[in-house]
Amino acid sequence: MRALRTFVQLLFLGGVTALAIRGVAGLTANTCETYCPFGGVAALYPLLRFRVYTCALTEFNVALLVSLVGLTLLSKKSFCGWICPLGAIQEWLGRLGRKVFGRSFRPPARVDRWLAPLRYVVLAAVLALTWTVWQGDLGFRAYDPFYILFTFGGHETRPWSVPILVGILAAAVAVPMVWCRYLCPLGAVMDPLSRAGFLRVRRNESACTDCGICDDLCPHAIPVSRESEVTARNCTNCFECVAGCPEKGALEISWFGK
Amino acid sequence: MGKVIVIPVAIALLTLFAYATTDAYRVATLDVALTEERPQEVSTVEYTIEGLKCRGMSMAAARILSGVPGVVSITTYVRTHTAIVEYDPGMTDAAAIAEALNRPVVVEGESHQVFRVVETRERG
Repeated sequence: MRALRTFVQLLFLGGVTALAIRGVAGLTANTCETYCPFGGVAALYPLLRFRVYTCALTEFNVALLVSLVGLTLLSKKSFCGWICPLGAIQEWLGRLGRKVFGRSFRPPARVDRWLAPLRYVVLAAVLALTWTVWQGDLGFRAYDPFYILFTFGGHETRPWSVPILVGILAAAVAVPMVWCRYLCPLGAVMDPLSRAGFLRVRRNESACTDCGICDDLCPHAIPVSRESEVTARNCTNCFECVAGCPEKGALEISWFGK
Repeated sequence: MGKVIVIPVAIALLTLFAYATTDAYRVATLDVALTEERPQEVSTVEYTIEGLKCRGMSMAAARILSGVPGVVSITTYVRTHTAIVEYDPGMTDAAAIAEALNRPVVVEGESHQVFRVVETRERG
């Protein structure tokens, strides 16, 4: 299961890295932002209000956003767990941290509850600033680890951009998926749709021994062992919990939890 | 494996869907008239331009063409790096417009090659 997911992650990571190399070599004018569905979110307001695309946004960003909505409804935040190269890198760094430190650091539940809504603040701030202070320019790029990393420090990076990237990646070693869990504005957009995601993990209480291994394995710290079906908005359908469960049939992949 | 395979299959299909439907959301990045009055006879030419990668660069192209007598309008599409230019054939032609776009721009004493026309398609 993990092999298939890793293969898909490597495919997208390879694609976006090849694009960055071609961009630096002057072989293409396209960058990772050309293929970013968050661009579709940023494009919506001027597109609906003025019928224009601003900055480097195009119709392809909107088409990707529409596809993302479909994927999230079908399979929760699979985009984050299967496609997003930044998600993949954080996941692997988290795994490395676990090997080095013997455990992952998980903020206490109360702190986690306080930090989780931060991504809605980031989303609101990014959209508000884009259409006011930044005057339609995608000023978020200077703070966006995806842009900074996969343009190899593109033209919108500022002196603070690389320290932000390094800080987030370093934090991801200790706290798995720190950017996704607390700061990613695209994750915030997907949250309400993800709750409804048709494909989800189901827990069979009769087969479950409440060992809690699934809780430990979840990179998003979802308390799988306390759910009858995982509807948590953060679930990326990575199925690490299902693969690592020692009890046959205790965790299963299901449609609508049935 | 079972239900898991649904995810990569859905990713592949939805990616193809995005490519197939992208033109449904097609809107010009910039669409401006450069003359107050439209001449009676207008010709149209489409350029593929290296460097035409955002709205700001589209406005730079419009600024360059506003200095070319006879250019009536410019419409840009940055996804395909194309610009559709209308002009008065009695005053200018496609080659002269391309030459203006290719001309290096001097900023603070330094010369910059901002655009490079890589393909010209005359539409009549």
